[in-house]
Amino acid sequence: MTKQKKYWKGLAELTNDPAIESLKHNEFVEPIPTEEFLGDEKALTQSTTSRRDFLKFLGFSTAAATLAACETPVVKSIPYVVKPEEITPGVANWYSSTYYDGNDFANVLVKTREGRPIFIKPNDLSSATPNARVVSSVLSLYDSNRLKTPKKKGQTTAWSQIDEEIVTRLSDVDGQVVVLTNTIISPTTNAIINDFCEKYDAKHIQYDAISYQGILDANQSSFGVRAIPSYHFDKSDVIVSFGADFLGSWLNVGFEKQYASNRNPKNGKMSRHFQIETNMSLTGSNADVRIPVKPSEKLRLIENLYQSIIGNQSPDDRLKDIYSELLAAKGKSLVVCDSNDKDVQLVINAINNQLSNYGKTIDLEKPYYLKAGDDELVNQLVKDMNSGQVGALIISGVNPSYTLPNAEQFNAGLKKVSLTISTALSMDETAQYVEYVCPDRHYLESWGDARAKHGEVSFTQPTIQPLFDSRQFQDSMLSWSRSNEDYYTYLKQYWREKTAWSQSLHDGFITISESKKSPTSFSGNVVSITQNSGDLELALYQSNSLGDGTQANNPWLQELPDPITRACWDNYITVSATTAREYGLSNWNNNDGSMDGNVVRLTVGNTTLENVPVLIQPGQAIGTIGLALGYGRTSSGKVGNAVGINAYPLITNNDFIAPSNVTIEKMEGEHGFASVQLHHTMMGRSLIKETTLSEYIKDPKAGNPDITFYTHKGKLFADEVSLWKEFDHESGHFWNLSIDLTTCIGCNACVVACHSENNVPVVGKEEVRKSRDMHWLRIDRYYSSDMTEEIAEEQGLGSVSKYKAMEVPSENPDVAFQPVMCQHCNHAPCETVCPVAATSHSAEGLNHMAYNRCVGTRYCANNCPYKVRRFNWFNYAENDAFDFNMNDDLGKMVLNPDVTVRVRGVMEKCSMCIQMIQKVKLDAKRDGRKVLDKEAQTACSVACPTNALVFGDVNDTSSEVSTLKEDERQYYLLEEINTAPSVFYQTKIRNRKA
Amino acid sequence: MQKESPIREPLILGNKSYHDITVDVAKPVLAKANKLWWIVFGISLVLFIWWILSVGYTIGTGIGVWGLNKTIGWAWDITNFVWWVGIGHAGTLISAVLLLFRQKWRLSINRSAEAMTIFAVVQAAMFPLIHMGRPWLGYFVFPIPNNFGSLWVNFNSPLLWDVFAISTYFSVSLVFWYVGLIPDFAMIRDKVNEKYWPLRKKIYSTLSFGWSGRAKDWQRFEEVSLVLAGLATPLVFSVHSIVSFDFATSVIPGWHTTIFPPYFVAGAVFSGFAMVQTLLLVMRKVVGLEAYITVKHVEYMNIVIMLTGNLVGIAYLTELFMAWYSGVEFEQYAFLNRATGPYWWAYWSMMTCNVISPQLMWFKKLRTNIVFTFILALFVNIGMWFERFVIIVTSLHRDYLPSSWSMFSPTFVDIGIFVGSIGFFFVLFLLYSRTFPVIAQAELKTIVKSSSEQYKK
Amino acid sequence: MSKKVIYGIFDDEEVLLKSVKEVRSNDISIKEVYTPFPVHGLDHALGLERTRLAIAAFIYGVIGCIAAILMTYYIMILDWPQNIGGKPSFAYYLNMPAFVPIIFEMTVLFSAHLMVITYFFKSKLFPGQTSSSPDPRTTDDKFLMEIESEDEKSISDLLKKTGATEINVKESA
Repeated sequence: MTKQKKYWKGLAELTNDPAIESLKHNEFVEPIPTEEFLGDEKALTQSTTSRRDFLKFLGFSTAAATLAACETPVVKSIPYVVKPEEITPGVANWYSSTYYDGNDFANVLVKTREGRPIFIKPNDLSSATPNARVVSSVLSLYDSNRLKTPKKKGQTTAWSQIDEEIVTRLSDVDGQVVVLTNTIISPTTNAIINDFCEKYDAKHIQYDAISYQGILDANQSSFGVRAIPSYHFDKSDVIVSFGADFLGSWLNVGFEKQYASNRNPKNGKMSRHFQIETNMSLTGSNADVRIPVKPSEKLRLIENLYQSIIGNQSPDDRLKDIYSELLAAKGKSLVVCDSNDKDVQLVINAINNQLSNYGKTIDLEKPYYLKAGDDELVNQLVKDMNSGQVGALIISGVNPSYTLPNAEQFNAGLKKVSLTISTALSMDETAQYVEYVCPDRHYLESWGDARAKHGEVSFTQPTIQPLFDSRQFQDSMLSWSRSNEDYYTYLKQYWREKTAWSQSLHDGFITISESKKSPTSFSGNVVSITQNSGDLELALYQSNSLGDGTQANNPWLQELPDPITRACWDNYITVSATTAREYGLSNWNNNDGSMDGNVVRLTVGNTTLENVPVLIQPGQAIGTIGLALGYGRTSSGKVGNAVGINAYPLITNNDFIAPSNVTIEKMEGEHGFASVQLHHTMMGRSLIKETTLSEYIKDPKAGNPDITFYTHKGKLFADEVSLWKEFDHESGHFWNLSIDLTTCIGCNACVVACHSENNVPVVGKEEVRKSRDMHWLRIDRYYSSDMTEEIAEEQGLGSVSKYKAMEVPSENPDVAFQPVMCQHCNHAPCETVCPVAATSHSAEGLNHMAYNRCVGTRYCANNCPYKVRRFNWFNYAENDAFDFNMNDDLGKMVLNPDVTVRVRGVMEKCSMCIQMIQKVKLDAKRDGRKVLDKEAQTACSVACPTNALVFGDVNDTSSEVSTLKEDERQYYLLEEINTAPSVFYQTKIRNRKA
Repeated sequence: MQKESPIREPLILGNKSYHDITVDVAKPVLAKANKLWWIVFGISLVLFIWWILSVGYTIGTGIGVWGLNKTIGWAWDITNFVWWVGIGHAGTLISAVLLLFRQKWRLSINRSAEAMTIFAVVQAAMFPLIHMGRPWLGYFVFPIPNNFGSLWVNFNSPLLWDVFAISTYFSVSLVFWYVGLIPDFAMIRDKVNEKYWPLRKKIYSTLSFGWSGRAKDWQRFEEVSLVLAGLATPLVFSVHSIVSFDFATSVIPGWHTTIFPPYFVAGAVFSGFAMVQTLLLVMRKVVGLEAYITVKHVEYMNIVIMLTGNLVGIAYLTELFMAWYSGVEFEQYAFLNRATGPYWWAYWSMMTCNVISPQLMWFKKLRTNIVFTFILALFVNIGMWFERFVIIVTSLHRDYLPSSWSMFSPTFVDIGIFVGSIGFFFVLFLLYSRTFPVIAQAELKTIVKSSSEQYKK
Repeated sequence: MSKKVIYGIFDDEEVLLKSVKEVRSNDISIKEVYTPFPVHGLDHALGLERTRLAIAAFIYGVIGCIAAILMTYYIMILDWPQNIGGKPSFAYYLNMPAFVPIIFEMTVLFSAHLMVITYFFKSKLFPGQTSSSPDPRTTDDKFLMEIESEDEKSISDLLKKTGATEINVKESA
């Protein structure tokens, strides 16, 4: 018989071990505990995940995993199947639009690339120029914290469902229906709201977080027109501002252009600007004469000025000049005041009336329609809500839970309202207490119109497909008032009749003829101002970067250094050095280059804020403190939350000053500031050359002496003692940038514009503290010091004590701003030292930086006398340690495709927006023509509202910049080291009695 | 057969025959290491590991882990670089210059001095590499066209001069050192007993390049040594001059100074000799070479230290004078700020260690006192580190525009890399002292008859 | 009668020197002398002519210098002249001062390394080479004179007479 071949798994099997036998029969060695798992009825019934759920999860996760696996690391770009005629990849499209958020208003042009808005610039047809906040609004569009769908009680729902519910509930609501919005300047929106109000006999209440009611009421009672007049700073030779920060945050309708137009010394005359204020404001820092006063004192001075003008009193010593010059400039002067107190504004009106400025520098016939909010109504609303009289509340464009001083009352009332609706873009402080959140669209996704000023209409048009399942407020209202129209057709209908629709849309700004307002003659009902005062007084202000705090979640704005304090990512109490000494408060620099300060407990009336940081501010009136609004958001998003403290609760009876009951006491602990400038004086160096108007008229080169050197050939200019045969910059283009220090008001618009044009990374507070901010363009701010070379000379001080004293700014210093970007030196110290030739000079006078060649020795930055080079210490893009817009897909949509995002370890700096220059050159080449003057621009020169930055080709003799280069005021920064920059400055002229 | 005047003190103590020298030099290589050696080696190894971790972290995360900022782009990195390069000067100087001057006392110390040079330059060379933002692209600094066309290096850049200077200096010193080592390796080769140590035998016979000491070889050997010395001498001066150009050719007040080259070279010799002292005073104890590294040697070196120390001191004063005399406000402020600004402590530590303390060397009692010498050598090393810190950081932190003034403070990574590099250095040096002939015995034997104690009797 | 190799071993370099002179005066050709350290005057006594390594070094240096000049010229002026910090790159002589350090370093580099390589090459020194010395003590304290001759007797006597402490004789290969 044939022996069958047999294999054993082991000896045990061969010897037929019973254990093995039994093992053969059951599949699993260990018995599976199915019983205690499935047998336990209780556990199964209680567990929320049923078997089916489990299978669903399983199915889903498998599917998800599969899908995830499908995704290739290569990101493919999908070409247009049918190319939209207006879009050519790589070529930008510009659309006119209008920015309005209740606080800021501006007419803008929006640059879009492949259907993505990436840059905001002024619309030159209008004088409403965008400020820093408006320029960075493009980033808020890509805010990943925006609501992606409508929400009901925090749960995602569909529009159809929401509309059903809302309409049914509105129709049988018991109690008043209220529509609470910011000031609506859109005629169509007003109409829509009115229709809605009629349908549900609802009440429409307008509310401004930053209230200007004082002016409105005053004008109402003085002239019977409840509006903000339009001011003409360009027509005023004497400007007296009692605290009104009209260049910074007062009204925010772009007074910069007007103001600067009358500050050009070329004509031999400049407007004379007096500022009587408490905090050191941007406007104050530009004033020719600045008088720091307590808020209470300010009112006394106003009273005094009025009384002396009508001849009842003799003017206060500090007001003597103002008084005489005002009287000398009747009809060519302008007095403004930031007070929100009707009585005060009445006096201001009276003064302006006495100076017969109405109809000349102040125009009530063509007023602004902005800031029409009524605080009484809002307060009444809060009461009504709490007394349960309000049945439904629709909130749009405002955030009362954050901006109301009595926010908690409002929130309490909100609970009593049965139907609450908000159209917030994100789950903000108010929206989170609201039942229905119907996300509005960002203005760059919306249609709209605006009538900010009498006779001026501007339009908003979408520049991108809506990013989320959102709906415009107007459309919501329309659908709730059951009209089957959509807002776009409504808008078109409305304006078709009045204007050439598509042309107006193209221009974005039109003037229409409408019957002027007819203000009555001045009623003269002036009551004398009574003001109680305290030994410590508070004045709230809007910070240059955040304004009223609407865009607190915008990293560009958070990292934008305040033009005056140069600190970012914070708000803080500003106090004068004297007051600080009184309370034992100080700031100090650590040896890692960061700045720290004390914290205090701030009590105003019965509101107390703990751990408020204190920053010592030269120019702050003694015995006063300033504090910025717009910070301390709790529900703005990952960037804006818990930055600084909320100052809105400190607003007492709608005014932004607290003249009494203000106390601060030093607390334990310190606060770390993120300040980009630690030294505030020029240390006696002539970095900013300045002179007075009278001197300038005598000698245009005043304050700007030639810098010459003694050589064997006699006295020569720096560029004449060069050892080298120079490169030719006569032929071809030679790009130069002129910066006028007289008209530069330090508004920061250029800084943000640069940020957005050049994909400059945001690095966060901690890195800024280590002086590692990445701004390519910075605006240095210098204070004057009581110690100068001359004084040291007189007092016979030694150098050591002299320089120590020079570091200390004056109590009320002169302020000067100096924008500094790469100076594009034609003898660039940085180029010489780069071992790998990563940075070299172009034939057009620009200093190039080849990122992919840079190995990061940082030698160039060390050798840069202007310290404008910025090093990528880390990867700032796609790095969770820097969780800003470059770290999420949405935020990255704002990046400019023409500019590379720099990697870790390379040096970067201002390129003079070479991508923009290149574009212009190519266009010119295509059309076979020369590049025109003003055609080539840089982001900063475009954004500058006062035209202080002029860019162009100096080889083109017709260009403005070439004439500026020959101007007597022209000088180079650090000319004596002969770096031969392509950027030059114009001396600062102050309109001062010499 | 040269003779030497009997007044000269002997350079070799005791009755050392040729054979004794052979044995003494071979001993540390053939014998087992003592406890002390292992302890020191252990510590150095730990520091070295810290160095590896710190460097790894830096390269992995970014230069941001250092304390630098937009104003101060260099601090400890380049400070350490210059410090190490400076230290690296003594070796070649001793063997080259002293050879040209026929200074016999060099013979017992040049080998270790050169070793120190090599290892110090290794440390120095690390810093320019790791201080780069993108060290993996470090090859960009070599004159090769880059991958995107014919973009070359920039020969105007002092940093590129450095690349050439340091690499030349390193390789030439290495060769100089090795040429001298070959006969001594041969000696060890012949001392090693193949039966017990087959591997060592193999290694040393490889290292010795099959040296056999033929008359013609010796003739060439001496010629080569002489020419190399002649080449190395200007090289030494050029290297630190070029390092000083990094600063001298810039525009930063406090850097832009024409006296830097001589001043830096003097400083380099100063710190180099101090480091040689530090090492040899330890080594002569640990490896037992008191007979060869005598108090006389120590004294000679102390005199050099005192001399160079004073040169450096004069340089400091000249700087101050020039700043004042130039009438340039930036210049004047830069130096005022050094002495009285936030980094005054660094400036005055530098002054104390480098200018004041060497004055004590005027006293023979002190300069012939081993312990004192050792302490003073340490002082000088510290002082010279501070000198570089002062030049680099206090010049950068307050330059032209006050708006950009800032401060620097090191992070634990900065510290790790610096301290670690010292550990790295000692690891190398200790390994050397156990495996290499630490004294140029072949050449030393030539002076036994002229300068050793017994012949002078 | 076959050729023998006679090794005379000495303890002292001076004795060796004398003996070498003596031996050569009896016009006996010395094949080789092995010493533990350079003995001054030995090459002279043996009648070896001067080595020309120094001249070689000079030539190498010149080569290095020229190479550096050509390199800097090609890279900075010819191939891609750039405007770097305004430094004139129009002609070599204008930009040359900036290249002096490079030129110097390259000169030293070439001359030093090439000379040493030549030295190793000429003396047949390289890793893996084995010592040709017949007696390992020649690296310690012994001096060895190697003479090849048929007349073993007289030579050993002569060596002894001139102070050799030890004589070994070996059949020559």
